Amino acid sequence: MQTDTKSRPVAFDRRRIYRPFLDRLNPIASLRGLTDGDLIVLRDSDPRDASQPPIHVAFAGSAELSRGTQMALVGGIGSGKTTEMLLTHRLLGRHSDAINIFVDLADYTDLSAINTGAILATVGMRLYSHLKKVGKEPSDEQKSAHTTLRELAFGKTTWVEVEDHGEYDEGPEMIRVDLPGVMRLRFPALRREVKVIKELLLSIAAPLLEDDAQITLLIDGLDRLIRADRFREFAEQDLQALRGTKMTAIIVAPLLLWYDEGRFLQEYFDLVKHIPAAAANPQDSAFLRQVLERRGASELMDRMEINALAKHSGGVLRDLLTLARAAAEYAYRDDKDRIGHQHASAAIRQLGNRYLVGLGTNHKRLLTRLSSFGEFPTADSTARELLVNRQVLEYFKGGREFFAVHPALARVLPKPA
Amino acid sequence: MIDFSRATPFRLVRRLAAAGQGSASMYLLIADTADIAKVQADVSAEVQVQLGAKLRSLTASELRPERLEDAFRDDAVWPAVLLTLDRWVPKLVDAIDCNVVLVTRFGAVLLLANNEIAERVLTAAPNLRSRLTDILAISPDEAFSGEPA
Repeated sequence: MQTDTKSRPVAFDRRRIYRPFLDRLNPIASLRGLTDGDLIVLRDSDPRDASQPPIHVAFAGSAELSRGTQMALVGGIGSGKTTEMLLTHRLLGRHSDAINIFVDLADYTDLSAINTGAILATVGMRLYSHLKKVGKEPSDEQKSAHTTLRELAFGKTTWVEVEDHGEYDEGPEMIRVDLPGVMRLRFPALRREVKVIKELLLSIAAPLLEDDAQITLLIDGLDRLIRADRFREFAEQDLQALRGTKMTAIIVAPLLLWYDEGRFLQEYFDLVKHIPAAAANPQDSAFLRQVLERRGASELMDRMEINALAKHSGGVLRDLLTLARAAAEYAYRDDKDRIGHQHASAAIRQLGNRYLVGLGTNHKRLLTRLSSFGEFPTADSTARELLVNRQVLEYFKGGREFFAVHPALARVLPKPA
Repeated sequence: MIDFSRATPFRLVRRLAAAGQGSASMYLLIADTADIAKVQADVSAEVQVQLGAKLRSLTASELRPERLEDAFRDDAVWPAVLLTLDRWVPKLVDAIDCNVVLVTRFGAVLLLANNEIAERVLTAAPNLRSRLTDILAISPDEAFSGEPA
């Protein structure tokens, strides 16, 4: 590749070729932009079962027919979960009386410090906004519930006068004694603050529920908690509190719960859908090619380069976009009008190096075992790290789940001695 | 050390300029510890010259994880922030990882670290790792002068 110089005049502004392409490829771009630009390639079936409808169709159907259903969407990072949620949200809009609330909790609260009750509080505030937006003047009771909800959600500062209590009296000393019961609760009891927030939410939602409204809550963001126990805490409190309210919930869950031996997802939720990290078989996927072509790849590279990027993405949509974007940037830096083989290769190597970072001896041992013998122990914590970080990808074919080293990583992985 | 694409502050900011204003991007920049101060200064100067913007420069040791939104608030014409991970702050990395969508909406986010901290970040923050636009080995401008890219 050529050297940059700081003041080379250009006869032709190559940015005009690459900027629109890069805009359409940004893997961290706004999803609204993707739908507005018609960049989403719809799947024609469930990625795990070709005889089943696409996930968003299944979710929307259940939400419309069985109010109060709780559904979970689980999948690896970058597998397209948020896109499926957005498609579900869009589809649910086909009924004008449906109230569909899409929430990315990161927009409302710091997810690293989130507390149970946060989902209920967010939903309550969004429902209140909805009421005002559609011109339904909230009652005094709803206004009061909303004010209290906001105070509970965001806290408040008050000034109190300090009284002089004189000498400190410790009072009678108490110790806690727990007497275990004979029944082990399937799910823990609701916490006091969750119960309070639930009542406030129901006060706000009451007129909608009395009108038999179809309310669907689409909750995104909690998959970023990664740790299954942190997610589970929310499900056992906030989602459990929604049970029986006829409000439907669709929530995105972290991948590790799919491999949880306690089968929490399957036990708790009425419907669970799983998107494998790899959206499609990268070897012969028309789907992956379509994703690139919809973004204008055919104008900038040949079929051979498109196939190479699709293959080395491993079928992971975010990686496919990252590869195409990197290849375009390399071509731009080389002052080329088209993306060539060397640019695609450099992009693949760079992605492989990204996956190479942080691999220790144990990780490499597992990768070798997977490559050589096809064995991958999902119960092993190191193996799960590899899955979460997408260094190992899960595939699904013919009703069978199997694993493979990410092809970009496989390309740069040092061969075992 | 893994052989990442090499960059200088000039080339990095040129990439940001090529992508255009309003294009969200997040780079992890790996530098030798001895070069970090120079890289900080060079990136700041290039952002000013090439983008006509003022770089917001922060360090991990000063940033409060619970006030992440203050650091990444969008109040500039061409928002760009350089966060130097001058020490390992797990709580901050966890906060960025969990709220990565919020962070990436800011505009151009540049995370600068030495090799050891960069590796720890990538291992501990899978959401962040997944959303990085690129990882680059960065050196001050004069270090690469005359070398091929």
